[in-house]
Amino acid sequence: MNSDYFSIEAILAENQKVQCAFKQDLPNLGHLGGGSERHIKASNKLQIPIWLAYTIIFSDWADFMIPAAFNPRVKNALRAEAKSVRLSNLVGSGGSWYGFGKLIMDSLDGEQAEELSQMLESTFRHRLIETIDQAQHFGVIGTSGVGGSAGDTSQIFREGLDTTERELFALAQESARKVKKWYETSDKSRR
Amino acid sequence: MSLPTSLRKSVTPPELEFIASQQLVEIVPLISMERTAFISGAYGPLRPPQKTKIPLWMAVNLKLKKKCHIVAPPWLNVDYLQERLAKETAEKEFSELPFRFAEISKVLLDVASDDLENPDKLRSLLKDLREARQAKSREGLNHLDASELSLPNLCQMEINEIRPFFIQSMAILGQFVRQADNQMQDE
Repeated sequence: MNSDYFSIEAILAENQKVQCAFKQDLPNLGHLGGGSERHIKASNKLQIPIWLAYTIIFSDWADFMIPAAFNPRVKNALRAEAKSVRLSNLVGSGGSWYGFGKLIMDSLDGEQAEELSQMLESTFRHRLIETIDQAQHFGVIGTSGVGGSAGDTSQIFREGLDTTERELFALAQESARKVKKWYETSDKSRR
Repeated sequence: MSLPTSLRKSVTPPELEFIASQQLVEIVPLISMERTAFISGAYGPLRPPQKTKIPLWMAVNLKLKKKCHIVAPPWLNVDYLQERLAKETAEKEFSELPFRFAEISKVLLDVASDDLENPDKLRSLLKDLREARQAKSREGLNHLDASELSLPNLCQMEINEIRPFFIQSMAILGQFVRQADNQMQDE
């Protein structure tokens, strides 16, 4: 989630692609888009990974579009019920929706960035309690009880967690497990 | 870092128990012993049946050898805990309890349950208290923001339990706050 140089999560988040609309011809740079074209022409639209998009946007070669994961449809769905949106589906497997959102937010300014910042924050807040509740539940019952039918809403929610939330889930689960274990061990046998 | 990942985030419950074991408890010794110097200080002399204060770890040790009775601390009895529980469920704030009550009560119930009155009732009261307080700290998640969180009267064990994910959540929320100087890293 952070932008630390060595953070694997940050690298993965930067690997997400954004759609860029080029404003000028770029000879011999067709490989950037991964296509077979030799040149990039003005008005071409290509999916560029965000680490590369920075340079392109700053050089004013292209404009980028807000990715589908943050479009108004997703926004409305999140506003209606943040817990029923499957964030992991929006960014592909192993993706970090929040990390991606943060990067997009940083490259926008003004109202758009403000809006995105609020969307990220409120989504995170609304999903946090459910995440922690479930993590503690699983921390206490241990791994044996995991299962339940696939149609189970809580399971659907778990599958929809993005990597950032998964990390939190693991943290909460681990600490609930540790505390429970401590409460259950008896000192008498140890001494 | 050489510490395993699981130990980097926070202290483990057994470590907290160890720390809590430094606290003094009152005992009624069944053996006599001269005043003895330990690293943490000198304790004793033990003269039955005079009450003395010694650290919890020593009391536990003597108790397991049947060489003392532990006197329950003033907060570890049914009346007091019942009153706390009533307060806990009635009010929004955490009620005031000793900072390390979870550790100490667990150790005492574990090794010296015969010195306590009605240990089963105590156990269930402590459990209820713990659950009521857990519900409140969960409520605290609602009020989480990037800058601060105030949950007064939270005790050591509870703080430790929620620390890893509260900190992480706050860090994440902090990332979403837009700052004027937070535009692009390259700038």
